[in-house]
Parts: sequence; C-alpha cells; structure tokens
Amino acid sequence: MEERKLMGKRLLATLALTTAGFAATAAMAEDTVVKVMHQGDPGWVEMYGKVAERFEAANPGVDIELVYAPHDAYNEKFSAAVMSKDLPDVFEMDAPFLANYVWSGYLAPIKPLIDPAVLEDMTASNIAQGTYPIDNELYGIGLTDSSVVLYGNRKYLEAIGARIPTSVDDAWTRAEFEDVLEKLSKVEGVKWPIDTFRGYGIKTEWITYAYEPILASFGCDLIDRTTWTSEGALDSQPCVDALTMMQDWAKKDWIVPMSAGTNQFFADGNPAALAWGGHWVYSQAAAAMGDNVVVLPLPKFGEKSASPNGTWIWGVSTASKHPDVAGKFISFLLQDADYRAYAVSQSAFPGLKSFAAQSPLYAEGGPMAIAFEQASKSAVARPPHPAYPTITSAFMQAFDVIINGGDAKTELTKAAQKIDEDIADNDGYPPFNGQ
Amino acid sequence: MTSTPQVRKPRSGRPAAKGRVAQELAMIAPALILMSLFLILPFLLSFWTSMTNQPLVPRPTPVRFLGFGNYIRILSDDLFWTAMWNVTRFSFWILPVQCGLAFLTALLLHQKLPLQNLLRGLFFLPAITSMVVVCVIWGTLFQYPTGPFNQVLGWVSGGRLGPIDWLGDPEWAMFSLVMLSAWQAYGFQMVIYLAGLQGIPEELYDASRIDGASRWRRFWHVTMPGLRPTHVFVLLITTIQAFKLYTQVAILTQGGPSNSTETVVHYMVRSGFEEQKLGLASAVSVILFLIVLVIALTQRQLLRRFDV
Amino acid sequence: MSDMALSTPRPAPKRRSHGSKRTLRIVQVVCVLIIALVMISPLFMLLVASLKDDRFQILADMGSFKAFWVSDPTLNNFVEVGGMSGDLAFGRYLMNSLIILFVTVSSGLVINSMAGFVLAWGRVPGKVVILALVIALYVIPQESIIMPLLIMVSRAGMTDTFTAQILPWVASPLYIFLFYQFFAQLPKELYEAAEMDGASPFRIYRSIFMPLSLPAMATTSILMGIESWNQYLWPVLVTQTAYARPIAVAIGTFFGQDSIFWDRAMAASVLMMLPILAFYIVFQRWFVSSFIGTAVKG
Repeated sequence: MEERKLMGKRLLATLALTTAGFAATAAMAEDTVVKVMHQGDPGWVEMYGKVAERFEAANPGVDIELVYAPHDAYNEKFSAAVMSKDLPDVFEMDAPFLANYVWSGYLAPIKPLIDPAVLEDMTASNIAQGTYPIDNELYGIGLTDSSVVLYGNRKYLEAIGARIPTSVDDAWTRAEFEDVLEKLSKVEGVKWPIDTFRGYGIKTEWITYAYEPILASFGCDLIDRTTWTSEGALDSQPCVDALTMMQDWAKKDWIVPMSAGTNQFFADGNPAALAWGGHWVYSQAAAAMGDNVVVLPLPKFGEKSASPNGTWIWGVSTASKHPDVAGKFISFLLQDADYRAYAVSQSAFPGLKSFAAQSPLYAEGGPMAIAFEQASKSAVARPPHPAYPTITSAFMQAFDVIINGGDAKTELTKAAQKIDEDIADNDGYPPFNGQ
Repeated sequence: MTSTPQVRKPRSGRPAAKGRVAQELAMIAPALILMSLFLILPFLLSFWTSMTNQPLVPRPTPVRFLGFGNYIRILSDDLFWTAMWNVTRFSFWILPVQCGLAFLTALLLHQKLPLQNLLRGLFFLPAITSMVVVCVIWGTLFQYPTGPFNQVLGWVSGGRLGPIDWLGDPEWAMFSLVMLSAWQAYGFQMVIYLAGLQGIPEELYDASRIDGASRWRRFWHVTMPGLRPTHVFVLLITTIQAFKLYTQVAILTQGGPSNSTETVVHYMVRSGFEEQKLGLASAVSVILFLIVLVIALTQRQLLRRFDV
Repeated sequence: MSDMALSTPRPAPKRRSHGSKRTLRIVQVVCVLIIALVMISPLFMLLVASLKDDRFQILADMGSFKAFWVSDPTLNNFVEVGGMSGDLAFGRYLMNSLIILFVTVSSGLVINSMAGFVLAWGRVPGKVVILALVIALYVIPQESIIMPLLIMVSRAGMTDTFTAQILPWVASPLYIFLFYQFFAQLPKELYEAAEMDGASPFRIYRSIFMPLSLPAMATTSILMGIESWNQYLWPVLVTQTAYARPIAVAIGTFFGQDSIFWDRAMAASVLMMLPILAFYIVFQRWFVSSFIGTAVKG
C-alpha cells in the first residue's frame, strides 16, 4: 500500500511538472504569409533565413515562412504537402522533377511573376532547365546551374606522367582514363584512384545526375526520348557496358566505398587521387589543397563527351494565394548580394549572366572554366518526363546492386521494366504519349 | 483470461438497468469509436485500396479497380522476395543473439545480489533508448574504416581481420543491424525471462536437490523445462518484430547496399510513399498482416500445447 | 556461469566459511557490474561525444579511449540544437514529443480503463463479442494500417497536426485488455456492494475501481509512453514542418544529409534521452515490473 501511495505521488508530481512545462508559444501573425519550401546544407539554410528577413523588412506586412526538407527525401516531403493541401507558395525543386510537378498541376507559369530584368539575365541552360517541354513555358528559375568535372591531384598525376587535358575536346578517352586509374592505384599514398562520391548514399539524385553522362557518353540513355520507353534504352548493350565498367572499377577497389565519406579527395593525406565531383566540391578542395587541384573535363568514353546539368531551382505553386508576392520573393532572392556572395564562396555554377560576371572562377582562364565549357559543349539534361521520379529511383536501385557486384544486364532490365510499368500505370502520362 | 467474471443476466425488471446500460455504453463508446475509426476502418480500407491503383496524391489519371493485380505484381517482384528473405535472415540471426543475451543476463540477475535493482536498471537502459538514438550511437560505432568496432577487431586479431565496412558491405549490413537491434531490445526479453525464472516453483528445485541432482542437471531438468512457454513467447515476439523491421533500415541503410537490408515494411513505404503507389503499398500491408496473423496463431497453438 | 545461474534463496548445501562467501558475493557483484557497464558503454560514449564540439574529432576519437573522455567539455552543441525556432529547433521538437506523449497517455488511460472496466463488470449487451473483437484486433500491427490511415488523415486535412499523431493511438486493444484483466480479478463484492448502495457504473468506476487500478495505470502509462516516444514511421509520414515534428523524426533527418553533423546529432540524442531517463530513474521499479506483467499475461 505504501508503495502504491508513493507511486501515486510521483505520478502526480511528474504530471504537474510536464504540464507546467507546456508554456506553448503561439505566434500569430495576420500578415500575408508566403510559405517557402527548400532544401540545402546548413550554410544555405542560414542564408535563406537572412534573405527572408531582409525581404520582410523591405516588404512590411509580408511574412516569409521557411520550410526545410532534406533533399534525399524531398520529393516525399513535397507529396506530403500536396496530400495535406498545404502546398507552399514558393518551392525549390530539382530541375528534372519539374516535368512531373507541372504535369501533376502543382506549378504555375513563372514568367509573369518574375522581374523582367531577371528573366533577361537567364543563361540558355537556365532557361532550358526551367522549361516544360509540352507548352514551352517557363516554370522554374534559379541563380545557378551545375556541372560535374573530374578533379585531379596534380602531384599524383605528375607522378604517373599523365597527360592533362585542358578542354572538352581533348578529354581523356576510356582507355586513357582506365590507364590513369590503373597507374594511380599503384602510387604511394593513393588509397583509392577515384572518389565518385558514393558517400552521398544509395538514395540520392547524385547517382542519376552524375553517372547518366557516362551512359550518354557510351551512347545510350535512361529512356528513349522520342518513344518514352525505357526497355531498349536503359537495358541496351552500351548501358550494360557502362555499368559493368564501373562495377569493374569497384571490384578493383579503385572507387572510394560508400562508407568512407565524401572528403577522401581533399582529406589529410589525400587518399583519393581523382574526384568525379560536382562543381560545389571545388571550394572545399581548393581550400584544402590549393594549387594541387587540377580541374579536368569528364572523360569521353565513346563517340562523344557528356556532362550533367540542372540543379535546384525555384517555382511558384498553383495553390499560392499570393503568386505576385511569391514571384517578388524569388526575384529578390536571386538579386540579393549576400546570397550571391555566399553562392560564389560555395563555387556555385552561374545560371544568370550577371552572376557569371561575378564568378571569376568560371570565366575564361578561371580554374573552373572547363565546367563552363562543358555546359555549352557536352551537357545532357536528365529526361524531362513526368515519370522522372520513377526513372531515377529505378536507376539508383539498379546502380546500387550493380556496383556491389550484381549482374548489370539483369538489373538494368528490371529497372527498365519498372519504368515502363510506371508509365503504363499512368496511361503514358498524357500528353507525353502523343495524345 | 483465466479469471473472467461470471456473466450475470441483466435484471431487466429493474428500472435503473436501462440507465446503467446507457451509462456503460457512454463509457465504452470513446474506445469503440476511436478503434473503429483508426483501426477497423483503415484495416478494411487497406483491403479495398489494395485492389486499386490509388496514387498517394491525386493525379490527372483515373483511379481504377485492379482486382488482384497489385498482389500479382508484388508476388512476382524479386525485390519483395528479397525483402522476405532478408527479414527471415534477420530473425534467424537475431534470435540467438538477442534471446541469448537476454537469457544470459536474466540468469546473471536472477540471484539475490546486493545492488540488485541498480544492476537490473543498468541492464535495462538500452531498452528505453529510442531506436533513432541507437542509430546515432551505432552509426558512429560502425564507422569505416576507423570506427571503434574496426579498431577493436584490429587489436583482437592483431591486424589480421578487417576493417569491415559494417553498413556498406552487402555481406555485413544485415548482420550489423542485427547487432544494434539486439542491443536495443534484449532488455525487454531479459525482463520476460526474469519473470519466467521467478515463476518456476522453488519446490521443484528442492525436490531435485534432494534427489542429489547437480546444478547442471537442475538447470537442464528444472530451469529449462520451466521456461519453455517463455522461450516460445520470446521467440515469436522476436519473429514478429523482425517482420516489422523498419526504423533502423530507414535511418542507416535505406534498404541497401544491394538491397541486402530491404525489409517488408521498408518495401511498403518505398512503394507507397516514394513511388506513390498507395494501392500497391496497401497490398503489401495486407500481406504483412497475414504473416503476423500466422505467427500469432502459431504462438497460440504452441502455448496451448505447453498448457500455460 | 551455471553456478550463478540457479536461484538459491536458501542456504546452499555446501558449507563455506562466512568470509569466503562474502568475498564471492562481492566478486559476483563486481563482475555483473562490469558486464553491465560494458553493455551500456555506448550510452556513455553518446554523452561524452555530445560534449565535444568538433564533429570530425568525435569520429577520430571513437576509435580510442578518448571516446570515453572529454578534456574540454562544452555545451555548444546543446546551444546549437536546443533552440525553439529555426531548423535545429530541438527544444521545440522535444516539446512536441512531450505534448504528444502527455496527451496520448493521459487520454489513453481514461479511455482504455473505462472500456476495460465496462468489459469486466458492465452489462452492455454483446460484451463478449466486444471482448473477442478487442482480442482479435490486437493482432493487427500498426504497420499494416498505416497506408490507408495516411489517406484518411490527409483527406481530413489533418496531416502535420498534433491530432494526427495522437488520436489514432489513444484507444488500443492491448491496453483495454490489460485493464480488463486487472479489473476482472478484483473481488466481485466490491462491485456488488457499491451497486447495492445505488452507485452508478461511472461512480463505481470513478471512486472505487479507478483508484485501485494504479498499478495497471502505471504499467499502461509506461508502455504507452515508450511507444509514443519512439514512434517513427507514422510521424515521418504525417509531419511536414517543424510545427508538430517530434524529436525522433528530427534526429532522423541528420542522416539525410551529405555529411552527418555527428556533434549535433549526439546532442539532440542526449536531449531525447533525458526525459525518458529521468522518468525511468524515478519509476525504475515499476518499469521493469510492468514489462513482466504484460509479458506473463500476454
């Protein structure tokens, strides 16, 4: 009985304490609320917060509400917002998802909402990534575009006497590249000849983004872009060869494994000699390695070179009650000096002409000039089709199995079937089926 | 279930009876309404949804009735069978590790020791640790190539073994999840075993002592038979948990590498949430229910056999 | 091992001197204590790491004894993640989790115990059928109703709310059954005497049975509390913004990034451990016995 009393007392005390703890903070604002959904690493997130504050200061009565979603689960978080009929006014999206969002009816044409000066300022690739192929309207806009280059450790490359290409036109061929990897694997201090950033994980857009150019260079694609069927494209021999090649690198321990992180190229001792890395890696690598970093074009595996493009861009949702304010915010953001300065510090790849002028990194003769050259000469966009979420997820999954030793033909066939199945499930995503 | 109170016939003649029943109904109603709404209704809905191509979010294409189309697609999907195989593998591995750990610690603690409560409390601590927190901790323990486990492995083997890519190697990933899951959950089963040990009548030990049985014999002939129902219970609970494996996978491996940690629930969430095929996901959930039902019925049968 | 394994409350037949027996006891306790400390060492590492500011150093230290030692402890990580707003608002997430736990458990206690009481002593027609239904429903795992539940909740516009995280889990067959069992074993004179006095069923429940059911209440609070605290899949599906995001989901998002901020993840994890640990220390005895209770009866 004593024990029971004691317990009762403690229960009561705890309840009282918890209740006292609920000093709920309910900040109610009657302002025009504009919800902005975005992703990004902590630095970017902080920057958006500051830009939002400045925008609020410049536009009294407007309240910018930032909603963060981690980019690996972004599409799911976005669906959750759609489900709860709680679409943000402004949202960031990865460019290849744009077709799906427009097809599903989430995105509003953005041209009338954006400051004409900013629209004028867009580069051709920026316009391309924000355009929906069916009606050729602009639905998204960004400050940046993106590319992937091959970073090299100068010392290691000199040690093996490798030829250092200086433009897209004299990029390494497959034979040359594999020869370099082979030789690098024997250099003192090199633990892995190349980091392909598997450390980003197995469910990350990086896989499709960074490795599709290898398929393209081999002469195949994720999906046939005229008939929109994947069988016959993704499971074709060139694609099988491309992934078998990568599997082979992994088998020889040439690639940094997934669990070893994403900093092996520029970490102490430089365990990785090359890096198949996004433009954003440059700032970190240059900070750690200085002149020892050399930027190379992606190798030419087959007939032609290929490089990725497209990045996270901004759009306005059809559900927005204040599309004009939403557009104003995007225009404000893209012109914000601090935002641009931060982007420069992150070696951002310019998507606006005026921003390109502020980015000496990518200018003629700049260290990342090759990335800019790739954008005009070899960039291949990811398929602008509403089935893209399935396309990328099927490819990621196939890649994960293949790189770990699975049979390339089998896995790619499964992936292609899965993609075609999804397209059939959605009646061919009209009007993409030509109707 | 043993002490069900006698069902008394309602004394319909009494005027107050009607009012009493009404009041009782009012008392049980909230539970019944909530259960109907959030348990029975979604359960029934899952059967219906599983027969359609219901998408997660509305699409410009119509929702159609597919019959058993989703089931056929799942059952002919290699990935689903990989997931089934993985959870089976998981339960085979975790049974000895987790139940063994639980059993041994229970044996250790089932003796009159000073500080007994403190000791039990310490052993039980991992069990109150949330799986998400467990993932944070073990995520660092598993670091490759220089995490604690790999260091220890190196020392113990004099550098001959490892480093092992615990979560990144398809050969090891599921086993790594087994270890962290066992560490998190053994406490519950330890407690169940403790209860089981306490439930063995002392007279049985006395009797066998008089017969001059050795401690070892007493263990095999008194303790183990006495724990039989506990073993069955623990085994089946663990198996059901294995089939529901999700959180660790979602946080640490996302089903990879090479689908080696794909599980039934992860497959369900993948199809429903990522691929937005809610109909398909509902079909998986029905299949999951059937699996759990079979395990639960097996448990009931076995326990009845042991007559508890 | 087998020596220690057997329960020997009575004096062991072998004769030993008093002193050596005591020494043996001490050795036993020390051994068990050491094993216990090894088992919980990961938790200790968590605490130590949360006091280190450099996320790379945390990983570097993990491989050595430094994992158990921090030379210049700092609360920086806690300051970073402990806020009530912003994206690392773990103060808020913690509060969200506590609100969800508190409301779920308190309403669950009332609703499930009333239902258990009526099932044990009431005269509602079809009582046996309801009881059988409750037992049958117990088999349905949460995971297998979650997809349709998601549609229901989103159709009702309830995603990203506290309600969506609380309401579906308040009434539960397991706890109704626990209360039913508890009430059913109380002597029937208790009920009949009160009924004679003309007390209504609710009065009998409120003033006689409920006060007697503290042990069942404690068991249920603890089990429900742990369950609510550890919810992951459901809140991942239904929460979107920081508004109602529980701490478990927030910690999970550390893993969705290109590189994991272990320092912050560790501090956030410690935050998540604290309430349950405090609760556990206060209620330890009942914690363990409540699991024994359910296990044996289950």
